[in-house]
Amino acid sequence: MNKVMSTDQVIAEIPNGATVAIGGSSLSRKPMALVRALARSDRRDLRLIVNVGGPEVDLLIGTGKVAEVIFAFVGFEVMGLAPHFRRARQDGAIKFQEWTEYTVMAGLDAAIKRVPFLPTHSTLGTDVLRHSTAFKTIQDPFHGETLVAVPALRPDVALLHVNLADPQGNGVVLGDGHMDALCAKAARKTFLSAEQILLPERLQTYGRDVHIFRTMVTGVVEAPWGAHFTGCAPEYRADLQHVQEYLGAARDGGGWHEYLERYVYVNHRDYVRALGGERTLGERLRV
Amino acid sequence: MTEYSVDEQIITCMARELRGEYLVSSVTAFGSLAAHLAKSTHAPDLAVLSTPESGMDAVPLPTLSLGQFLTENQRAIPLTMEDIFDAIFTDRFRIWINPAQIDQHGNVNISVIGPWDKPKVALVGSRGIPEDTSHLSQGLYYLTQHTPRTVVEHVDFISGAGYNPERRNTLGGHGAPTCLVTNLGVFGWDQESGRMLVRSLHRGVTPDMVRGATGCAIELGSRIPTTEPPTAEETAIIHAADPLEVRRLELLSGKEAAEKFAAIYERERQALHAAWPRRRQ
Repeated sequence: MNKVMSTDQVIAEIPNGATVAIGGSSLSRKPMALVRALARSDRRDLRLIVNVGGPEVDLLIGTGKVAEVIFAFVGFEVMGLAPHFRRARQDGAIKFQEWTEYTVMAGLDAAIKRVPFLPTHSTLGTDVLRHSTAFKTIQDPFHGETLVAVPALRPDVALLHVNLADPQGNGVVLGDGHMDALCAKAARKTFLSAEQILLPERLQTYGRDVHIFRTMVTGVVEAPWGAHFTGCAPEYRADLQHVQEYLGAARDGGGWHEYLERYVYVNHRDYVRALGGERTLGERLRV
Repeated sequence: MTEYSVDEQIITCMARELRGEYLVSSVTAFGSLAAHLAKSTHAPDLAVLSTPESGMDAVPLPTLSLGQFLTENQRAIPLTMEDIFDAIFTDRFRIWINPAQIDQHGNVNISVIGPWDKPKVALVGSRGIPEDTSHLSQGLYYLTQHTPRTVVEHVDFISGAGYNPERRNTLGGHGAPTCLVTNLGVFGWDQESGRMLVRSLHRGVTPDMVRGATGCAIELGSRIPTTEPPTAEETAIIHAADPLEVRRLELLSGKEAAEKFAAIYERERQALHAAWPRRRQ
């Protein structure tokens, strides 16, 4: 089946109030072209699930799309805190659930295995557990040990960015895999953006680098530089100059509107053009 | 006598705690350099991670965008989050964590300043620290600024479990804190009382300086050893691995940090382009 579609077709599959899991980690391989499309749509009340989040969460909060965030981390590493996330946390504007890296994975894994929860030692002795409305402690029925039950997390949609895909929806990841395969398996529908779409016979030669299997994928979008301004190993690294531009704009109201006009309220092709085009980006970010 | 700076003293102390054949996270410049230094000297079997984008057995090179420059050139082994957490659960993982606050019992905070529901400052979220503090047999922390605001009586939010009552009831010793390295000294915990104690003070640091810089009670005996300073070999390894001094960013803030950042960014870009031809145009 040919699953190649446009970005707009992907957004049409995401209803208001949808639970959306977003792949990648930190400043690495976030599906930013799809996230920007979501940010310029009229969707609202989304519930986001991220592990190590950053620009994707901040942009969607900053464009008013989000009702709730389940997260282990939201920030920009050495570059600083996430301005919209931070403001929304401090103002109590939207709902937040602080999970942890593994418990997000466990929640997705429980959904995959169709069990109501998975047990872990993680969060014992921490205020993550004390403040959680989601986790409960349970007794191990065999030995009586105290464990934490992490409830299943079932995303309606997963958005992922991969290095290569084929039109059937197989996806190749050449750098770190993060928790993308878990997102794809747990979500009701998974959409990929890919640096490049190849014929299936070429994609099959990648063997174990095929992390995402077509049986879980609903649609594929070709989007070169589709992870920008996060990195996509080994193609290009995170664009820290743009991270600074983003953070500068996000910290100040006037600059934010200009930023959106220039980089978000445009299609992906014009986004790349606004950054000087593929050649300029390549010279700066491919190593 | 070898000349050295405080960052080199901290990194050297961190390196000396690492040994064996573990995956070692290098998510900060200090952590990255400590792992590299240990691997270059007494712990050659360490499997250093250059997260989030280079996988295992990268040669750690502190860069502004974490490991993102290294993948293609150094052919590290890519991992998934499942690989990393399975290594944590089986105690085959080590990480140096740089918390916003740490308290006398070794509880650490990177989530919020103020109450969680209405934070004064929302930081980043607990990330994977609750997994580390429930599984690893070494709990490793460092601070570049030992002050009453960073070493406190009680953390505002427990992102990682120190010696607290819940730990005693549920985790026992799994994931307990074992070492804190700061700009003043090396600290540990008494396993019975769960209280922070001093292991050594860096050269030139007095007990009174530590007392003044610590926001909680701390026992300072009368005969505290002096930390072994970095050797010439150790400082040379750090200098060679971090010629752009990315590590110094962790010591600066505000305008100074921004200027240092801009300078490093440009030099890093030039260095990378000179050293490594691009794969394709």
